[in-house]
Amino acid sequence: MAAETYKVRLVERLKIKIGEAKNLPTRSHGSSTQRDVYCTLSLDQEEIFRTSTVHQSLSPFFGEEFQFDVPRDFRFISIYVFDRDRQNNKQDKVLGKVAIRREHLASYNNKDHWFSIKAVDADSEVQGKANIEIRFEHIFARNKNLSFSTNTKKLFVKVSECLDLTLKNGACDPYALVCVTYTNGKRLSKRTKVRKKTTNPQFEEEFSFNSCEDSDGDSEVCELLVSIWHDTPGMSDDVFLGEVKVQLRGHQQQNAAHRKAWYFLQPRSSKNRPSLTNSTPPGTRLSSDNSLGSLRLQIQYTEDRVFPAAVYDQLRNLLLQSAHMQPITATPVYILGEIINKVEIAQPLVRIFLDCGKVVPVIKSLAAVEISSVTDPTTIFRGNTLVSKMMDEAMRLIGLQYLHKTLRPTLELIFSEKKPCEIDPTRVKDPNTIQTNLSNLKFYIQKIFDDITQSAVHCPALMCQVFHNLKECAITYFPNNKEVRYSVISGFIFLRFFAPAILGPRLFDLTTQAIDCQTNRTLTLISKTIQSLGNLVSCRSTQPMCKEEYMDCLYKAFCTDTHKTAMRKFLEIISANTSSPQTIVNDKPVTLKEGEIKRLMIKRAQGRKRFGRKNFKQRYFKLTTHNLSYSKSRGKEALCEIPLSNILAVERLAETSFKMKNMFQIVQPERALYVQAANCVEEKEWVDLLTKICQTNANRLEKYHPSAFINGEWMCCKSPNELAPGCSQVSQTDSNNYHMTLDPERDLQRVHSLIIAHIQHLEAYIPVLQDHAVCDVMKQLIDVAFNIEYQHRIYKRTLDRNTKYGSLEAPIGDDNYLLASRMNLDKQVLLRCAPTDSSVS
Amino acid sequence: MRAMTKPPTDNLPTVKLVVVGDGGVGKSAITIQFFQKLFVTDYDPTIEDSYMQHVEVDGQWCMLDVLDTAGQEEFSAMREQYMRKGDGFLLVYSVTDKNSYENITHFHTQILRVKDRDTYPMLLVANKVDLVHLRKVTEEQGRELAHKLGIPYIETSAKDPPLNIDATFHEVVRIIRNQPQNDSDKNKKNKMQGCAKCILI
Repeated sequence: MAAETYKVRLVERLKIKIGEAKNLPTRSHGSSTQRDVYCTLSLDQEEIFRTSTVHQSLSPFFGEEFQFDVPRDFRFISIYVFDRDRQNNKQDKVLGKVAIRREHLASYNNKDHWFSIKAVDADSEVQGKANIEIRFEHIFARNKNLSFSTNTKKLFVKVSECLDLTLKNGACDPYALVCVTYTNGKRLSKRTKVRKKTTNPQFEEEFSFNSCEDSDGDSEVCELLVSIWHDTPGMSDDVFLGEVKVQLRGHQQQNAAHRKAWYFLQPRSSKNRPSLTNSTPPGTRLSSDNSLGSLRLQIQYTEDRVFPAAVYDQLRNLLLQSAHMQPITATPVYILGEIINKVEIAQPLVRIFLDCGKVVPVIKSLAAVEISSVTDPTTIFRGNTLVSKMMDEAMRLIGLQYLHKTLRPTLELIFSEKKPCEIDPTRVKDPNTIQTNLSNLKFYIQKIFDDITQSAVHCPALMCQVFHNLKECAITYFPNNKEVRYSVISGFIFLRFFAPAILGPRLFDLTTQAIDCQTNRTLTLISKTIQSLGNLVSCRSTQPMCKEEYMDCLYKAFCTDTHKTAMRKFLEIISANTSSPQTIVNDKPVTLKEGEIKRLMIKRAQGRKRFGRKNFKQRYFKLTTHNLSYSKSRGKEALCEIPLSNILAVERLAETSFKMKNMFQIVQPERALYVQAANCVEEKEWVDLLTKICQTNANRLEKYHPSAFINGEWMCCKSPNELAPGCSQVSQTDSNNYHMTLDPERDLQRVHSLIIAHIQHLEAYIPVLQDHAVCDVMKQLIDVAFNIEYQHRIYKRTLDRNTKYGSLEAPIGDDNYLLASRMNLDKQVLLRCAPTDSSVS
Repeated sequence: MRAMTKPPTDNLPTVKLVVVGDGGVGKSAITIQFFQKLFVTDYDPTIEDSYMQHVEVDGQWCMLDVLDTAGQEEFSAMREQYMRKGDGFLLVYSVTDKNSYENITHFHTQILRVKDRDTYPMLLVANKVDLVHLRKVTEEQGRELAHKLGIPYIETSAKDPPLNIDATFHEVVRIIRNQPQNDSDKNKKNKMQGCAKCILI
């Protein structure tokens, strides 16, 4: 019973890397057969990401990664491949798409897969659902002349509403067409009125049809087809948006028809429906039909049902023990690192320990065991181990703002100047340019070197603490090695932090713009040199060995005493003992999020009477730890700055207010700011972040208006008073953690999911282990996992019981209609939970 | 630079090799020992280095273009880019590091997936065999893995005197030359034509 009162969150994360395409069909017109190709990523029909264009290729390489928390329910992830055909001034032509059902996403996890590209036709691009009521009624009508009654059976079809219809070219004016087919092949159609500018139309129109087409009763109604269309007056054909087909042949089917139910809209039935197996099954290689070419994708999809914190208490306590338990090899964290993929487990572990303030001791213990087992100090932490992965995650979490502050100015200079820096004689066309290129490169490197070495005081205290421990530990194990005190730190801060960030700034959110080949090469050269400079002070020989010949002159220029001194100083400061880690308080504003937001409107308390789309303007928003500001464009002076304390509430805005999607409002004293984000992912990120930051505001509102004040009244509560207090409760958020991005329950659930996925591994280890301590910990881990899984089971049963086929949550028309079936519960685990089961249900 | 038996003619076929494996297993040591004939004692983690040289394998000259890569997972974003370009791969692990041995499978799988092929020219390289007293992965285990992956196996040491360094690079060139021609790899066919013909004769 307890489970039913739980508030369970569903969190889904999707990371998708669009690798490359191959064997694309050639262009049939124009001077070249090659194409200029880009891809878009869509959640159902909503575009959320787009790659940059690769020119003149039939096998374009993108290598672009996009990851996000899924903000809403969806059925398909689609990647569309486009040809940007600018020669003929045409619209971009869609070459095809790869569509993957939500239920199948997880089966592609972790490995590259080639998917064959499928044709796109308007009839299959369908999303949304429709609410339809079907009933049969007997009508007794008295015949005027003959004065006896006739019994006619009638079919009533009521089209109530639709949700989430597709926008076609940014517009949607939908109407529904109800078509009934009789056994003699005759058809009868009726249509609703057109609803303007909405993807969630309320039709509420009912139609009646005779159950029999003729008076003899030979040809009965046998099929009902409700199709939804986008009205395009003046054009030849209206645009198809989806359809629902219900078989009504005979009493059995007629009685089985749901009276009132939600249906998923389907592609047009005369065509072939999109095949479910449109890619290689996991584990195999070639895609069969690739006449349109194929696309390589790497997908990582996780779906977790997150329970309240109490459910995870045991797991949390067990994990936290690891920070102080000896030997570390017998702790839960170490054991999990041995059994589960390190990359997958490191991230949630770091976040859980960070949340509990124990990330420093756990890394210290793990590092100690690794240092003690290393025989050659020069290769300390060079492999891919749990502690190196955890350090990597910890630095990204704690140090991201520091990284941005340090590298951004010079990187932006490089992006804007785009000076050539190639110094490899085999890669330049004109050897005379090498000298100029070399001085360009030297300038950039010196600048970044200065930025980094002078940034020591800004390095976050937690990172310094970790570095301090690493240094102490390394010195203890290798007392005779003078260099190890530096190499142990540069191996993390340079090799795993600065160098990867310079090389791939997009992966660290240092920029969102596409990087051209030449700039990419510049970044590679800088990254290589900076990494070597970080390593400079830990080399035993005075002159470092130069690996590639052309890099020699660079190394000579930077291998000076001045550089070495600066580097030593930097590494010493960031690993100095900071006894009280909380003393360094950064009072300068730090940018948290920024980006273009499509439109904006300021609603003043008095004055304006009407608002229209023309009041919305594109602005560049920037959120810092001090305020939210916006300007005409990036880098321009702010037009308006809103102190964070003035943000009284951040809430979504009902779509009906302006008939615009992805809207949210920022309520301030005296006025509200209505903002439209580019897509649902952007909207969620802004709202989540703003809410999190402002939730501790003393004057935060308790109530707000979910809609706008338009034409003299609040659209939500109809109050004519513009200053009327809100009519709905503001969203509740937990205020128990101080770290803005941490969500410990979610990370604990992630760890739990990983344990469950590897539970057979864990169990297989136990009988063969000699070490009793390790054995005990493993048994505890398994017990805790079963306890949590038991809660999941109760929840699943409740869900099964309460989910009705045909309800809004489980519309008719998809194979896996039950929410619960997505939970991927391990059957074996369920069996193990069985004994305690009866007592609860 | 090595002494050449005869001056290489123009338009030699280029063979692109990529050296992959975990951090600290000696990828750069092997590469530098091959190209510069010396053993580097200092460890400077590589991000991406490339080397070119004319080499003669089985009486046939070619331009060897070798890319030495980063072992750390932080740089894995670059991996698929060089995996697309390589004609052949050296999968290197250290016999003193069990972890690096276990990670070989990931590299092997990813190369095949990026190439969309069932097999591809690769060679399993067990490095640091001179460190006998620190050895944790036996020759038997190495051969077993090679058999499982369906690729040849070789043991190396980059430390002076080097063991099997030249043999390793020559062997990969041989594997590339001897692979059955695949219809889908037309450009590769052109590139390797010179070599393939001679072997047939």
